[in-house]
Amino acid sequence: MTTFDAAVSAEDLTKRYGSGDAQVTALAGVTVAFGRGELTAIMGPSGSGKSTLMHCLAGLDTPTSGRVWLDGSGRDGAGRVELTGLRDDALTELRRDRMGFVFQAFNLLPTLTAWENITLPMDLAGRRADAAFADQVIDAVGLRDRLSHRPAQLSGGQQQRVACARALISRPDVIFADEPTGALDSRAGAEVLGFLRRSVDELHQTVVMVTHDPVAASYADRVLFLADGVIVDELREPSADRVLDRVRSLESVAHGGRVSAGAGA
Amino acid sequence: MLRAMLRDLRAHLGRVAMTLAAIVLGVAFVVATWVVSDSAAATVRGGAQRTDLAALAQARTGDAVIPAGTVARLGALPGVSRAEGVVEGYAALVGRDGKLGTTSWPATAGTDWDPSQRFDLVAGRGPQHAGEVALEQQAAEEAGLSVGDPARVLLGGDRSDTATVVGVFAYRPAGREFDPAVAYDADTATRLLRPEGAPDGATSGSVPGFARVELFGADEQAVAAAARAELGAGFTVDPGAALRQEQADNAAEDGDIIRKALLAFAAVALLAGVFVIANTFNMLVTQRTRQFALLRAVGARRGQVRRAVLAESVVLGLVGATLGVALGVGLGLLAMRLLPVAGTVAYAVSPWAILLGYAVGLLVTVVSAYGSARRAARVSPMAALRTDAAVPRRSLVLRTALGLVAVAAGVALVALTSPEELTEPKRIQAMAGAVLAWFGVLLMAPVLALGVLRPLARVLRRGPVTRIAMRNAVRDPRRTAATASALMIGLSLVCAFSTVGETMTADLTSSVRAAVPQDAVLLRAAAFGQLDDTVRAKAAAVPGLSALAAPRTGELLVLPPRGRNAEARFTGLEPAGLGTALRPTVTSGSGDLRRGVLLDARFAADTGLRVGDTVRLRFGTAGKDGAVAPVEVSATVAGLHEGSDLLPGVLIDEALVPDGVDGWGDSVYAVGPDHGALRNALEQAFAQRPDVVVQDREQLLDDLLQAFQLVLGLVYVLLGAAVVIAVFGVVNTLALSVLERTRELGVFRALGASRTLVRRTVRRESVVISLYGGLLGIGAGVLLGGVMQYVILANPVFEMAVPWPTAGVALAGMALVGVLAALWPARRAARADILAAIAAE
Ligand SMILES: Nc1ncnc2c1ncn2[C@@H]1O[C@H](COP(=O)(O)OP(=O)(O)O)[C@@H](O)[C@H]1O
Ligand SMILES: [Mg+2]
Repeated sequence: MTTFDAAVSAEDLTKRYGSGDAQVTALAGVTVAFGRGELTAIMGPSGSGKSTLMHCLAGLDTPTSGRVWLDGSGRDGAGRVELTGLRDDALTELRRDRMGFVFQAFNLLPTLTAWENITLPMDLAGRRADAAFADQVIDAVGLRDRLSHRPAQLSGGQQQRVACARALISRPDVIFADEPTGALDSRAGAEVLGFLRRSVDELHQTVVMVTHDPVAASYADRVLFLADGVIVDELREPSADRVLDRVRSLESVAHGGRVSAGAGA
Repeated sequence: MLRAMLRDLRAHLGRVAMTLAAIVLGVAFVVATWVVSDSAAATVRGGAQRTDLAALAQARTGDAVIPAGTVARLGALPGVSRAEGVVEGYAALVGRDGKLGTTSWPATAGTDWDPSQRFDLVAGRGPQHAGEVALEQQAAEEAGLSVGDPARVLLGGDRSDTATVVGVFAYRPAGREFDPAVAYDADTATRLLRPEGAPDGATSGSVPGFARVELFGADEQAVAAAARAELGAGFTVDPGAALRQEQADNAAEDGDIIRKALLAFAAVALLAGVFVIANTFNMLVTQRTRQFALLRAVGARRGQVRRAVLAESVVLGLVGATLGVALGVGLGLLAMRLLPVAGTVAYAVSPWAILLGYAVGLLVTVVSAYGSARRAARVSPMAALRTDAAVPRRSLVLRTALGLVAVAAGVALVALTSPEELTEPKRIQAMAGAVLAWFGVLLMAPVLALGVLRPLARVLRRGPVTRIAMRNAVRDPRRTAATASALMIGLSLVCAFSTVGETMTADLTSSVRAAVPQDAVLLRAAAFGQLDDTVRAKAAAVPGLSALAAPRTGELLVLPPRGRNAEARFTGLEPAGLGTALRPTVTSGSGDLRRGVLLDARFAADTGLRVGDTVRLRFGTAGKDGAVAPVEVSATVAGLHEGSDLLPGVLIDEALVPDGVDGWGDSVYAVGPDHGALRNALEQAFAQRPDVVVQDREQLLDDLLQAFQLVLGLVYVLLGAAVVIAVFGVVNTLALSVLERTRELGVFRALGASRTLVRRTVRRESVVISLYGGLLGIGAGVLLGGVMQYVILANPVFEMAVPWPTAGVALAGMALVGVLAALWPARRAARADILAAIAAE
C-alpha cells in the first residue's frame, strides 16, 4: 500500500498467545512499512500490542502468521531479507549486524565498561568499530569522559545514552527502541529523544520507537496508533498536542465502538 | 512462614539438587568408611576363633625352636591332656603357571596337619601319608589348584616336593600367627619342613624342633601356669582366653586402622562439601533477597528469618543424610564384596554408622548454612522497595587478614625447624605449620582470585566470550573462590601426595642406581620370601660371575666407647661383593669391609662415632633353649657411608655376624664381565626355581616403585570423592549464576549473541573458575607436599621433586571439569528466553 522506500515492512502480522479460552490476540493482522531515514513512533494504550509488534519486526518473537521483511537496499548492497521463517542463528546474525536495540531498562551488560557495551555488537561480529564514526557518536551522546565506567557507575539517562550509542555504532538498517524513556525523568528523556532525532536527521538512521508518551511521539516523523492489535490511525509531522488529541479521540472511539458492539450483540 | 520457605525450597528443587548431591556424597563416604571397617573387623574375627586350645607356648625370639623332648615333657604335665608341636617351615606353592603366588606370607609357609581346630576343611580330607598335601584355600585359589591335582611345593635347602592335593582348608590362627599355604601329615612335615643338618641361616624349621607347642586341657590357667614353670624365661605361654582376646583386639585394631585412614579421606571430602553447601546457600539467599525483605517488611523478626533459613538447611540436611546413609551402606557393602578377601566375608552395619551419617549430614549442612542465615536476617525491609536490592556483602578484609596470619604463622612454624635436627616434636610442628598455611590459603582464596583473575581479565581483552567470561568470574570473588576452593581441597592433597611420591621415587631411584651397578644381575625371592644360602652357593658357582653380594639385614645394638648405646640395623655381606656387586656411597674412610665396619654417616653423627673408633656390636641370637643370648663382636669403624634402602645401617663382613642371628635376605647381586652371558647363566641355573626371580637393576626398581604407585593410586581414588563433590559445586555455582543473569543473557542474545556464543561464554567462565581452583590446588599441594616430604625424609623443603606429569594431568583435568560442569548450565543459559528477559517490569 505504501510506495516509499521502506527499511522494515510487515504484511498481515498476527500474533496469538495461549490457546482455547485463554487465547489472547496481541496482533490481529497488521500491515505496515517503516520509511528509511524516518523516526516512526508506535503509540497505543497498554496492552494494545506495541511491544509484540516490535518484537515480531525485530525477529525476537515469531508471529503466528504474516511476514516481515528487512530491506537494506541502498546500503552495502545488503538485500531484502524475509525474517519470518529464518532460523535462530540467522536471526541472531541479522540482529547483530543490521539492527540496533534500546530497551526500556537494563540495556547494558553490568560487567562491561560503557565503551565495551557500545562496541559489543561489533565485537560479537568480530568487526572493529569505525574510529571516526565512533568518535562522532560518542561526542553526540556526550559520554567521552564516561567510557571506562561500568553501568553501575552511570545514571539512568547516561545508561540509556550508552544504549543509544551502541544501537547506532554499527550503522544498522533500523534501530528498535521500546519505551526508551519509560524509566527516565523528563530531562534525561528529552536528551535521549533528541539524540535519536539527530541520528535520523544527521545520520539518516531509521528508528522505530514504541512509546505511550505523546511528548516522546512528537519527536517522530510519523506516528502509528495501535489499538487491540490493529493499526487504527496514523499521523505525519505530529506535535504533542495533536498526538494527545488523537489519543483522546481514539480512546473515545474505542470506548464507543465497544458500546456499539455490545448494543449490536 | 516456615511453610512458605519450604515451599520455596521445593520450587527450587533443581538448585537444591546439587547441594543435596554434595551432602549425599560426603555422608555416603563417612558411612561407607564405617561399614567397611566394621565389616573388615568382623571378617577377621568371624569364624576363626579357636575354642579347643588351652595354651600356646613359643620361644621369645622369632626363629628359635622348641625341641621334641620339651614337647614330651609338656605333655606329661598335670592338667595337660595333650601337647602338640607345630611344625613350620619354608614351603612355597607353585601355581599351575609354574610361578609363585603373589600373596606374601601364606604362600611360603608349610605346617603339619593335625585334627585340632587349626584346620577347617573346606573340601576333601586331611593329608594322611607321604604324597598327599592339603592347601590353604586362598593359596589354592591363587595357584589354581584343587583336590586331585598334583601340587609342586618348593622347600628350603633347594629342594622341592610334588604331592597330590587331598584337601583344601581354611586356617584358624591362634593369636598372631600367619596362615600357612600347605599342610602335610606330621611325619612328612617333619621330614620336608625340618631337614636335618640343613645349612644354617635359612628359615625357621631348618633346626630340629617345633615353632610352637599347642597345649590342650580343661583348665586354661592351670595349664598355662604349669607350662610356664616348666619352660622358664625364654618362652611365652599364653592361655587360650588371652589368645582369643588378642585376636579380637587385633581384628578391632585392624578395623580401626582402616577406619582412621578412610575417615581422614572422608573428612577431606566433607570439607570440600562444606564449601559447596555454604556457597549454594549463599547464592540461594542472595537470589531471594526481595523475598526476605518482604517478610521483614510484613513483620518477620530477624531471628525468624534466620531460623527459617536454618530450618531449610535442617530439612536439606535430613534429606541428604537419609540418601547419603543409604548410598553409604550400599557402597560399603559393595566394597566388601569387591575386596579380595578369602573365605566368608562378614557384613556389619552398626547403628553407629547410621547415627554418624545423620549427625554428619545435619551438622555439616547447618554449619555451612549458618553464615547465609545470618546474612539473610540482615536484609533490610527497605530492600523490598528497590529493584536492585542486594544482600549486604561481607567485606573480605577480615577473612584476608586471618588468612595472611595463618599463612605467616604456618610458614614460621616450618621455618623454625631444620633438616639437621628434625626430632619428632619438630616434625609435628612443621606438619602443623604446613596445614595451618594451607588453611590460610583457603581463607585467602577470594583475594587471590582477584589478584590472579583481575589482571588476567584485563589482559585477555580479545573477543567478547573470554572478556565476559573473565569478568563474570571475578564479579563475585567470594563465590568464585568458594567454588574453586572446593576443587582446591581435593586437588591440593592429590598434588601433595604426588609430590611426596615423586620425591620418594626420585630418592629411591637415585639410591638404587647408586648402590647397584647398571650391569648387575639380581636374584630376588619371589612372593616376599627369602633366599637361603643354597641360592647364594648356586649363584656363586655360575660361570661368568666376578663378584657377588648377598646382603642380610637385621637389628643390633651398637656400644660406642663413649656415650650411650644405640640401636641400629646392620647389613652383613661378603667383603668382595661390596664396591663391586653392591656399591655403598662412602663419605669418609674406607669402603673395605676387611678393615672394619662401615657406619651410616647420620648414625655416626648422632652417636659421635668417627672413623678409627672401636665399637662393640651386640647381636641377639637364639640360644638352644629358645632364650635370647646376646653375642658381642668388637670392630673398628673403617668408614662412613650414606645409608640407603638396599644397604642400611652398619655394614659388616658377614663372617663376623654370629651364627643364629636373625637376618633377612631376599636378594643376591651379581656382576660379571658380560652382563648378557651372566644373566643367561643365572636364568639357566634357576630355571627350576620359581621362587627365585632373575632381574636387572631397572626391573628391581620397577618392582620397588610399583608397590608405591599402588598406594598412591589408592590415595588418589579416595581423594577423588572430594574432587567429585567439588565438581558438583562448580555445576551449582554456574547454574545459579546463569539463573541470576537471566536478564543480562536476554540482552546479550537480543544484541546478536548466538546460542553457541552464550554457551561458549558460560563454558569459558566455568573453565576459568576450574583452572583457578586447579592452579591454587597444584600450587598449595606441591608446597604442602614439599613440607610433607621434608617431614618424612628430612630433605630440605624446596628439594622436593615437583610431579610435573600429575600437575599437568590435574590442570588438564580441571579444564575438562570446567567443560563438563558447564554442560547443563550453558545449555540453560543458551535457552534463555529473550523476550521474558527483556520484558521490563
Ligand atoms: N508472553 C505472553 N503470553 C501471553 N500473553 C501475552 C504475552 N505477551 C503479551 N501478551 C498479551 O498480548 C497483548 C499485547 O501485549 P504487549 O505487546 O506487551 O502490549 P503493549 O506493549 O502495547 O503494552 C496483551 O494483552 C498482553 O497481555
Ligand atoms: Mg510494552
